[in-house]
Amino acid sequence: MFALPSLILLLLLNLYPVIYAFIQSMHNGTLLSTGPFVGWGNYVKILHEASFWRAARFTVIFTVSGVFGSWIVGLALALLLRTHIPANGLWKVLLLLPWVVPVVVSATSWNWLVATPQSPLPILAEHLGLGNVLFLANPVLAQITVCVFKVWISFPFMMMMMSAALASVDTNVYEAAKVDGASKWQTFRMITLPMIARPTFVSWILMTIFCVNDFPTIFLLTGGGPVNSTQSLVLLAYLTVFENFQTGPGVAIAFLMTLVLVVVSVVLFRQIRKVSIE
Amino acid sequence: MSTLSPSQAADAVIAPTGAQRRTSRGLRERGKWWRFVVMLIITAVVLVPLLAVVVLSLQPSLGSTSTGPFTFENFIEVFGQTSVLTWLKNSLLVTVVTVVIAVVVAAPAGYVLSRSRSKLVSGYSLILFVVQSLPVVTAIIPLFILFATVGLVDNLVGVTIIYVAATMSVAIWMMAAYYDSIPVALEEAAWVDGASLFGSFTRIVLRNSLPGILSTAIFSFLLAWNDYLIAVVFLRSNPNYTLPVGLESFFQQNATNWGLVMAVAVVMMLPPVILFAFLNKYFSVGGIGGSLAGR
Repeated sequence: MFALPSLILLLLLNLYPVIYAFIQSMHNGTLLSTGPFVGWGNYVKILHEASFWRAARFTVIFTVSGVFGSWIVGLALALLLRTHIPANGLWKVLLLLPWVVPVVVSATSWNWLVATPQSPLPILAEHLGLGNVLFLANPVLAQITVCVFKVWISFPFMMMMMSAALASVDTNVYEAAKVDGASKWQTFRMITLPMIARPTFVSWILMTIFCVNDFPTIFLLTGGGPVNSTQSLVLLAYLTVFENFQTGPGVAIAFLMTLVLVVVSVVLFRQIRKVSIE
Repeated sequence: MSTLSPSQAADAVIAPTGAQRRTSRGLRERGKWWRFVVMLIITAVVLVPLLAVVVLSLQPSLGSTSTGPFTFENFIEVFGQTSVLTWLKNSLLVTVVTVVIAVVVAAPAGYVLSRSRSKLVSGYSLILFVVQSLPVVTAIIPLFILFATVGLVDNLVGVTIIYVAATMSVAIWMMAAYYDSIPVALEEAAWVDGASLFGSFTRIVLRNSLPGILSTAIFSFLLAWNDYLIAVVFLRSNPNYTLPVGLESFFQQNATNWGLVMAVAVVMMLPPVILFAFLNKYFSVGGIGGSLAGR
């Protein structure tokens, strides 16, 4: 009885669209009609397209750098915040702001920072003798910029996850390690990391899901350009549906992406179970 | 987060003993201030993009008669000349309704997830996870078709319904994770005294769950307030825009007039930042992961 309202909402607004979308991926339809049935045709078609593989490649780059970049920055800050620093609570609050502020706002601001030759960062680069650096006009630089932007948005999440994880580590272990004469690096490598392995894997899974499904971060900063170099699978699916009006292939891309995502999540979940058993 | 004080715990371990104490305390003092400086620099660098928004919004624009170092004329112009006020009203409406419905629906559902241990319920929990990891793009197209037939495209009611659905699974998890921390013994005592299941839930469990409810509310608030993708697909005409779509379209049209653009950005940024400033101890991204890890 208690779960009924949520169950109805979930079935109608989450499960129904997924099933309907799957049916759509089997048809050559438009936004307003289902169109003729083509079976697995759409899947075969996209797997043969270069744009799909290019988007898949960037999705991997974006996700890997997003997950590990934000994890490394977040963990480093969490470790730093564990030590005695004046105004400890204030830093924690201020550093969470990139996660709280709407992406549209931060994307606007990053546009101001890097997009035009009059922006502060290109000017700074010129003063440093790097010449005329166009962050969003060069394909490789644009990819790097988008990834850095993602890390900037996501590290607060990792910082919170890792702070909570570090707080739950039994401090007696550190004392024992100190008595045994372990160095700081050894303590971190042999004790801290294994002790926070479980929350680390959970945060990796969540961040992987966040990154693969992330639309606004990329779309608002580069729109997928230049020359489609920052087009991820989600962007490709969106553009296929809402700009080329090919719902079938668009949804098929999203489904293939989800399939890979589920496989990766399951593999990572297995890792968690292994860690828990040990 | 405020209940955790790892620094104190770590400190107790590092604390030196006996004769060493004086010298190493001096060293520690110095190390402390070094870390303060490092932290200050890191935070300043990280916050540059956000500070830039505020500073630019207060700069006099080109051709301005203002002579002071900063001015509010961008805000006056933006509120007078554009539809920012309408967008703000739309955003507030959509967000508040989403938060209220999400909490009202998730509170009882989370209770089931927390207290019941049947196969059916853990299956339900699994469905929640699978649904959550599906990309929004997949769900948007069928919903668009569905909503087009019932007139919910370009309609604030339509996006609100989607936001509620999108927050639901995480909201249920967050509530369940909080209920897990409330001992069942309290309810059992109430049942002995003749309270019904519903009575014990509202009078005992809910009454003790304010922090959990606040965390869930903040999560739904941020999701609805910050969303861009659903809004840009479903809201088609200017008077129906919420702030994210409004800001983006305004930015596309006035890309060089940064003062005005950033003034709109400040309007959009303020509500979540104010909320966060007052309620940050209930803001738990960790709670999401924690509840996921436990199940």
